[in-house]
Order: sequence, then C-alpha cells, then structure tokens
Amino acid sequence: MLLKNTHNELIKILAKPRSYIGFLALTVLIGVILLAMKADGDNFISFVTASFEQTLSFNGLILNGNLIAFIILQMLIIHVPLLVALVTGDLVSGEAAMGTLRMMGTKPISRNSFLLSKFLAGAIYTFFLTVWLAFLSLIVGQFMFGTGDLIVLNSDGLVIIPEYDIMWRYGLAFCLAYLSLLSIATMSICFSVFSDNSIGPIVSTMAVIILFTIIGSLDVSTFDYIQPFLITTHMASWRSLFEIPVPYDAITDSIIILLVHIIGFTLLALWWFNKKDINT
Amino acid sequence: MKYILILIIGLFSGAFYAQDSAQDLLNKVVDKTSLVNDYSASVLIKPDVPMIKSLPVKAKIYFKKKDKFKVVSKSIAILPKQGFTDVNVFLSNPKNYMVVEAGTKVINNTTTRLLTVIANESSSEIILAKLYVHPKHYVVLESEITTRSSGTVRVNYQYSSQLSYGLPSQIKFTVDVKEFKMPKSFSTNPHKSGASKKNKRKTGTIVLDITNYVVNKGVSDSIFQK
Amino acid sequence: MGCLKIMSELIVSVKNLKKSFKGFKALNDVSFSVYKNDVFGFLGPNGAGKSTSLRCMLSLIEADDGHIEIFGKSLSKNRFEVLSNIGSIIEKPDFYKYLSAFKNLEIMARISGRQVSKSEIEDIIHFVGLEGREKSKFKTYSHGMKQRLGIAQALMHNPELIILDEPTTGLDPQGIVDIRELIIKLSKEQGKTVILSSHQLSEIEMIANRMVIINKGKSIIEGEVSELLNSSQMMVRFSSDDPEKFCSILTKEFSDIADLKVTESEIEFEVNRENIPEINALMVGQNITISGIEQKRKLEDYFIKMIQNEK
Repeated sequence: MLLKNTHNELIKILAKPRSYIGFLALTVLIGVILLAMKADGDNFISFVTASFEQTLSFNGLILNGNLIAFIILQMLIIHVPLLVALVTGDLVSGEAAMGTLRMMGTKPISRNSFLLSKFLAGAIYTFFLTVWLAFLSLIVGQFMFGTGDLIVLNSDGLVIIPEYDIMWRYGLAFCLAYLSLLSIATMSICFSVFSDNSIGPIVSTMAVIILFTIIGSLDVSTFDYIQPFLITTHMASWRSLFEIPVPYDAITDSIIILLVHIIGFTLLALWWFNKKDINT
Repeated sequence: MKYILILIIGLFSGAFYAQDSAQDLLNKVVDKTSLVNDYSASVLIKPDVPMIKSLPVKAKIYFKKKDKFKVVSKSIAILPKQGFTDVNVFLSNPKNYMVVEAGTKVINNTTTRLLTVIANESSSEIILAKLYVHPKHYVVLESEITTRSSGTVRVNYQYSSQLSYGLPSQIKFTVDVKEFKMPKSFSTNPHKSGASKKNKRKTGTIVLDITNYVVNKGVSDSIFQK
Repeated sequence: MGCLKIMSELIVSVKNLKKSFKGFKALNDVSFSVYKNDVFGFLGPNGAGKSTSLRCMLSLIEADDGHIEIFGKSLSKNRFEVLSNIGSIIEKPDFYKYLSAFKNLEIMARISGRQVSKSEIEDIIHFVGLEGREKSKFKTYSHGMKQRLGIAQALMHNPELIILDEPTTGLDPQGIVDIRELIIKLSKEQGKTVILSSHQLSEIEMIANRMVIINKGKSIIEGEVSELLNSSQMMVRFSSDDPEKFCSILTKEFSDIADLKVTESEIEFEVNRENIPEINALMVGQNITISGIEQKRKLEDYFIKMIQNEK
C-alpha cells in the first residue's frame, strides 16, 4: 500500500503546476548566472584572486565550467530549499485545505503508510530537482565554459584542485546537497502535518531557514553552542569536499546531523498524524 | 729596467681587471641571454605559498625576443607577478640604470659578485635589482628584485644543459605574502571557524623545474596571442 | 418489533460513543445498530453529532470512549479489512481539482483495498452518468457532477456498506430522485447496507426502513421507521372559513383525532389517512367551505417532537 500510494503521490505532484516552478526557477536563475559569467566572468574571478594578485599571477583556464558550477551552488544554497518547500510543504496541508485528506482518510491505508508515501514522493521530487541543478550547473556550465582546474576561496585561503580530481568531489557534493535538501523537505512535510492550510508550512520553512542562516552567520558567542546543530549550518557541508585534504570526519558529522534531523522530523510527523483528528 | 717592466706589467694587470667592471660584467650576462632569440620548454610549477593549496602543475613556456613570454597551461598555474622577461628587458638598455659592484656572496660553493642595479628613472617599475653573478659563466645565481607594484622578490637559479644560453634548469621564487588577508565576511565553511586568519608565514616559494628546452628553433607569434 | 431483525446479520454496532473537542462534548453516548440490507436513516439537528459519529466510524476521528464493530470486527483492530468493505461520502465529495475524474478515481482505486480495473472504473462512471466527462478536470464539474463522482468513488470497489452523509445536498429535483432510486437499488437489488444521514426528512421517510435520531451527542430513539411513525396515522391541515364549526363536527364524528390545533383559518390534527376523504365530504355536506387540504410530513413532526422533548 505504501508503494501504491507513493505512485498516487507522484501523479499528484506531476499534475500540480507549482511542481514545475522549482525547475523553471532553477533554469532561469542558472541561465542568468551563466550568461552573466559569460559576459563578465573575468571581473568576478578577480574578486577571488584579488588578495593575491599584488604578488602572484594566475595562469590557465580559471573561468571554466567547474568553477561556474561551484559559484552557482554557492549562490543557490538558500534559494533551492525554498523551491523544495514550495512543493513538499503543501503535501499534507494542501490536502487538508482541499478536503481530500478526509476522502483519503476513509480508505484502508494506515496513516503511517499514507504519510510515509508522501515523504517518499517528496524525496523523489527533491532528487530530481537536485539532478536538474547538477545538470544545469555542471554539465551545461562545462559545455559553455569548458573544463579545467577548480579554484576555490575558503575562509583560510585558496585551494586549487586539479581537473582530474574534481568530478568525484562534485558527485559527492551533490549527494550531500541532496541530503541537505531532503532535510528541508522532511521539515516542511512535518510542518505540513500540523497545519490545515497550504501557505503556513511553506512560510514557516522559509522562516526557519532564514532565521537559522542568520544565527549561523552571527559571530556571537551566545550562539556558539547551538550553531553546530542547526540544519542550515550543515547545508553547506558539501563545500568541505573541495578542501585539500578533505575533512571526512567533519563531513561525516554533518551527514549524521542531517540524518538525525530527517529521522526526527519524520517521527514527529508520524506521531502527530496518527494522533490527529481529521476534521476538515 | 727590471722595475719599470714590473710596473708596466702591474699597470696592465690592473687595467685588465679594471675592464671587468660592474657594467662589463653585467653586459656579459646580458650578452649571453641575448643569444637566445626564442625558446620553448616544459615546466613543472611547484608552489608552496601560505593560504594557497595547490598541487604541482605542468605547463609549457614560450619566449621570443625581446619581451614576448607565454605560459601555456590548462591547469591553473601560480607564478610570481613579476614577469620572466621584465628584468632582462630592463637590463638590456644601460641608459635605464646605473650599476655598482657591492661585494661577494658564496652561493652553492661559488663566490658570486654582487651587482647592485639602480634605476635612473623614478617612474621605472623596477626600482632596485641585486644580482649575484657567477664570475666565469656570466649567469645570475641569485637575484633580489624590488618593483614598485610587487615589492621584493628573491629568485634563485640553477643551471645545467642550457648554461651556454644562460637558461636555468630551476628557478626558485621567494615571494612576500604578508599582505594576504581573507575577507571576514566571506561565506563560511561549516567546518572552519570562519574568522579571518592572518597567515603566520611571511614568505612563500614557487619552484619551477624547466626541462626540454628547444632553443632558437623558431616560435610562432600566434602562441603569444590570447 | 425486532423479531425478524434478530435473524438479520448485524453489520454495524456502535455502543456508547463519546468524543470531546477541547472540552466540548460532541458525542456523549451515541449508540445504534445497523443490519444487513438496511437503509438506515441517521437523523439529528445541526450540531447533533452526526458527522462526528460517521467520522468515528470511518476512523477519521478517534473516539474518546465507546466501541465500534463493523462486519463483526472491531474497527480499531481491523481497520484495513473493515474499511476495504466500506464506501463513503462524508460532507461534500472533495477530489483533486487539477486531476481528471478518471485519474481521481484511479487514485482512490489504488488504495481501496481491492483490485479495481480500468474497465470497472469506466463502468462506474457510466453508472453514475458521467460518461463523456471523465477526462475533464474535477474543477470544471458542476455540484451535481461532483456529487455523482463522489458516489462513484464510494461504489467502485463494490463495498458491502455504504455511508452517505447528505448525498442530495445541492442537487436539483431530478438529481434528488436519481439518488433516491440509486439507494433503493443498492439496497434491494444489490443487497447493500446503506447508512444515510440527511436533513431531507422526506427522503428518509421514503427510503429508510430503520433510523436513529440523535441530539446533542446522544441517541434519542432508534427503530423501524414504520413502527416509530405509525404511518397509517398522519398530520393533516384543513383550511376553512369556519374552523370552530369544523372542530365541533370533527370531534363529534371521529374519535381517533389527536394533536388538534386550531387557528383563525386552519385546523391541524393527526388522523388515520383513510379518514381524510370522509372528513372532507362531511364538512362540505355541512356547508363548511374547505379552501385547502395539506398532508404534513409525519416524520418532520415526529422529529421536531423528539428534539423538543429532549430540550
């Protein structure tokens, strides 16, 4: 019954116009970035190397598809979660608002299966959105700008990664990015369970992302204790894959934190959904 | 008579040494390098600069008289800002500078002669050049070049198969990095503190191992076009 | 009264159902029983607890106390088996607006607990009179069409028990007749059991064989409609120019008159329906002008009486 209803959920997601907003928005956003880079990318690059250019010169193909993909991922780290929440935040509350939750609630499917199928469908939607992001940023970027070494500016300096050493990093980076987006998806579905209207969970998810991002970026000792556990802190963990050497321990910690969030939100949602009276 | 002969010999000896003056020595160095009309070579660039992590990079370098120089590399190669040809171009015109001999220094078991080159024009990019010259081979083993925009760069040279042309087999640049600072507000990496760090090392090195020279066989101008 | 029914299979047994929402007692001891092939009327004023009771039966709501058994099985312990055999419409039928009717039915069919083929879906669409519109999006449907689609999803997996919450709301007269005939057909021809909650008392009176009336979350009375209403008796209203004389003659000539009420121009009373023509003829013979005769719905009167008694 879980798989049958997951099939149902995917049909519903595919039929909703809002499901395509994310893909369209990514296409437009990334398209604009690619065109901007094509037009004026060298000036943008000089920002990366400005600190060093008094003494050093950088030769070779700096502005290449690998760098473009990195820049795009950096820029969209806040925006893509919102595009995910737009769909996943509506999965339960949208049905409550429409009245179909009442119809489906009378069917012989357990509430656990019903809700888990929504989580599964949300995860599949998020996966395809991530794949689209990867395709546009990396594949199209490489097609337009070629390939080459990747120059990355981190908080403790420049890292130059040879071309042969990049693709596996991007493979894992997109996996990590997917995990980050999945944690946002589960959070928004969890909020959706507590609401009977469509907008509340989406706005709540956005608010949490923005608030946690601000807290995470504040250099205030008060927040030092909670910053390592915030979901948004670990949403950028994919960047660590572009360090030399790669801090695998730290990345593992991020994966664990994100998985804990995913499992926690799922269990909370299941608990409340089983308790909930369907009065809509 | 005998004493007059000794005096004359002594005077001529002095005259002989007096001809190998600082300018003469420098001219011999410049003359040697001017034997090279063009060359191409393979280079392995090994940077060791604070706040930059990079693996060694293979590249090709091309030179054509008098100041065309190109590094061709698909990989990102870090090189000193100061170009390979700047010093040679500067030294090729004696009117640009005055040179004095300022002592000696032993480098790799060779007693080199220190030539201090001072720019005549106040607007010259190269302000001061200290060249430690091999007295017999007329090649520079070490230099300290002070420029207006890049500060002071110390360079060490080693020679092997292309000594006759004055083309080094290894060049080691020591660059001043105390100006490198990371912006505090840059995107944080969750696994780093995020605060700006001042590097503790003040200098960094870039070593170039140059092999497979092809000298005076012709290099197309199209290589130097971007 | 119940001799025959004791032999019929008990399909639904609801006992002492209680449910509160934030201190408000929506259900405070609702009990009733439904037997096989019943068309069971579920009556009560607004806010009586009808929808809440039905939601409890369909596990949309968890009751605070009480017991629900359907097909001889506890609902809480056999949810899948029980719900597989129930088709229902609670309040208005809601579907996915952005999907076609056919797609909506496919989605429901997939989790109905039984294999429902595409041809069966097509058959049910034809059965409810929506052929030709199955590819249209639900949002383009009229109210009547939505109601039909609701019935389609309730029937398509061939359930034994059908629960309909006000199925004729918003329908035109023809639609109401169609629903009524459908319910009768389901019960008489297909042997299904129907629980029908409705405000259309005439509908209940016409098609239900058993009923329960609830008010303020409590069951008031339950039983056979015919026995409760004693349908040979009915309320009748005569309009006359001389009500006093009418009453005087009526009470003198007929002994089984009950609930007599007189106004300036109308006389209302309960009487055996067979006596109505005789009363009319008698009054006309006594030169009393009769300007109108109205048969009042018995159930309506009974219902109001029951509710007022509870107050």
